[in-house]
Amino acid sequence: MRMAPFAAGALIVLQGTAPRDDGQWTMPARDYAATRYSGLTQITPANATRLKPIWSFSTGVLGGHEGQPLVVGSTMYVVTPFPNVLYAFDLTREGYPLKWKYRPAVNPTALGTACCDAINRGAVYADGKIIYNLLDGHTVAVDATDGHELWRTQIADLSQGETTPMAPFVAGNRVIVGPSGGEFGIWGWVKGLDLATGKILWTAHNMGPDSAMLARPGVGRYVGEPNIGVSTWQGDSWRRGGAPVWGWISYDPQVDLIYFGTGNPGPYNTEQRPGENKWTNSVLARRPRDGTLIWAYQFTPHDSWDYDSNAEMILADLVVGGRMRHVLVHFDKNGFAYTLDRVTGELLVAEPFANVTWAKGINKRTGLPILDTTKTTGASRGNVKGICPSLEGGKSPASPSAYSPHTGLFYTATNNLCMNFEAAPVTRIPGTPYIGATTPYMAGPGGNMGEFIAWDAARGHKVWGIKEKFPVWSGSVVTAGDVVFYGTLDGWFKAANARTGKELWKFKVGSGVVGAPISFRGPDGKQYIAVYAGIGGDWFLLSGDVRSDDPADVRPPADFAPELARHTSQGGIVWIFGL
Amino acid sequence: MSMDVVRHAACVCLTLLAACGRSDSGGGSTPPSVRYPDHVAAGGNQPPAVEVNSPLTADSANASDGSKIFSSMNCDGCHGGGALGWVGPSLVDGRWRYGGTDGALYQSIFYGRPRGMPAYGGVMSPGAIWKVIAYIRAQPVPAVVPTQRWTGEPRR
Repeated sequence: MRMAPFAAGALIVLQGTAPRDDGQWTMPARDYAATRYSGLTQITPANATRLKPIWSFSTGVLGGHEGQPLVVGSTMYVVTPFPNVLYAFDLTREGYPLKWKYRPAVNPTALGTACCDAINRGAVYADGKIIYNLLDGHTVAVDATDGHELWRTQIADLSQGETTPMAPFVAGNRVIVGPSGGEFGIWGWVKGLDLATGKILWTAHNMGPDSAMLARPGVGRYVGEPNIGVSTWQGDSWRRGGAPVWGWISYDPQVDLIYFGTGNPGPYNTEQRPGENKWTNSVLARRPRDGTLIWAYQFTPHDSWDYDSNAEMILADLVVGGRMRHVLVHFDKNGFAYTLDRVTGELLVAEPFANVTWAKGINKRTGLPILDTTKTTGASRGNVKGICPSLEGGKSPASPSAYSPHTGLFYTATNNLCMNFEAAPVTRIPGTPYIGATTPYMAGPGGNMGEFIAWDAARGHKVWGIKEKFPVWSGSVVTAGDVVFYGTLDGWFKAANARTGKELWKFKVGSGVVGAPISFRGPDGKQYIAVYAGIGGDWFLLSGDVRSDDPADVRPPADFAPELARHTSQGGIVWIFGL
Repeated sequence: MSMDVVRHAACVCLTLLAACGRSDSGGGSTPPSVRYPDHVAAGGNQPPAVEVNSPLTADSANASDGSKIFSSMNCDGCHGGGALGWVGPSLVDGRWRYGGTDGALYQSIFYGRPRGMPAYGGVMSPGAIWKVIAYIRAQPVPAVVPTQRWTGEPRR
């Protein structure tokens, strides 16, 4: 199958063949392989202690500032949480003034259909366009030069509980998008839009009949049984079974496949959806041109714990078991880090990167988890205690990892939280939550609720870690200078030596960090690091008293992290740091 | 995606429609409008409107029914278990975005509110709405808590 020609401006970086870094950051994870690796070398472990703030800008928006800016040429683009303002900053002028600001009309009703704050995970640049999703189920393309709207397409249905905070991905001339709504009983999908016009060219559901999944069993490498998206569910429960696509997408142009994870099955009460619930909590490989499902692997069959698999699939070439393999690496909410052959879907490595109690391991031959059945949940099983990780995940998919081909290591935020889980029956009412569980959290062993770690994905073990008091919920960027950056919920932005894990520098950025840092080269030839401050996302729900804008909504601090609200409140700020 | 602190009462499904779809116990018909005494009236004059009051007595049976409906209609999915606040605001802090009178609460539930509150008038009867209001009214409202203090050693 031939792939479509690449859009102008698209970058291809594959490990081992990385061209010299052009200093831009044009897509969410910087490259198709989702590495979040910057080839820039000016900032090093030796000089990182001299990093200082260069510039900051209040976005005027309070929602959780997930995602990352883009830098294209000498312009930096920032998408805010709802109401999804798009700012274009001129990096050639002192103070980086705005070139323009795009203000879409966004339906505020979406605020009641977004499960976990009014977040946005960023934009993508392609073909002269900045493309991103509005929370209310639209994708827009804006002229990168002057900010005028080029097209606007409704992709999702608020009335069914679908919202769209994910960052679109462009492969060839297709814009790939998906919805949130795993807590609203949606029928999860991805869509392929025409880059030029925004027209929806294909829709591929993640469950249901093969015709809806664009699956052709026996063709190519897809080996699922016919209509496995129906037979692994009871009755028509797949129609409201969740499997949202709210995370990140990667692309291997050599084999012409996109890779993305699907989210949790709904509702949380397992007894309303007997079966393996394919393809929830899975990685799917599809052809970007027409959406055809090529292979799939389910990380957590019949999910009992809200272990979405929306985390990034990082593409790398690693020596595994003495052989060079084209792999994808994935840190799942379920606490295991997986290394799979990305051409065939073969499972190569699956080892815990966080404290795990729900399973004793992963059977490499069958690919199935070896369950601790005392941790299985359901309405008839009462309050099941001591489940680790919590449903925030061993790592949140909202906190994308980075991979350095220079060190060969993967860098990721992690959470050290456990939970109790009491499920109950629930009824689907379209446009309202469809959940059915009470799930209080507590700190895991050691008491530190988070750790930033470096991971060897060929062998499946942690190389180093920096323990943090609170869960670590930021993305990360690693540079060719061997410096890795991340932020904390209590508002520190930090640099560490990518080889040793030694903390090099930190700065208090004004609000908790749930965004993902980037590195770029400015018009002055210098290397910079940019990151958002602005606590939110799940922490809008979990932190307790961090919102100060609403006199009619006053809450106590979180019971499991009462100190968090002492260090941060909401509020979006874009920061740029340099030497 | 991630969530929760959400409790769902085990009743539901079948009783839902009976409780919410048809029951009209004491609800009467939909009021044409309500008075918002806590809004600023232009010229100091309140617009003419009906002052709507709950037809229910504040007894524990109504609050208990309302608690079940609060779960079965997925109210807790947004407002949290115990209505303590989640992605939607707390309903038990004694403070109200759109007014805290019976009539204002009824209006909020029946017609929805623009920043995400669904209009439940299509699936809940007036009687069921009044029971949910009875449940909310029965929750303890904290004494005035304008100050959050962190004193002494950090707890963790």
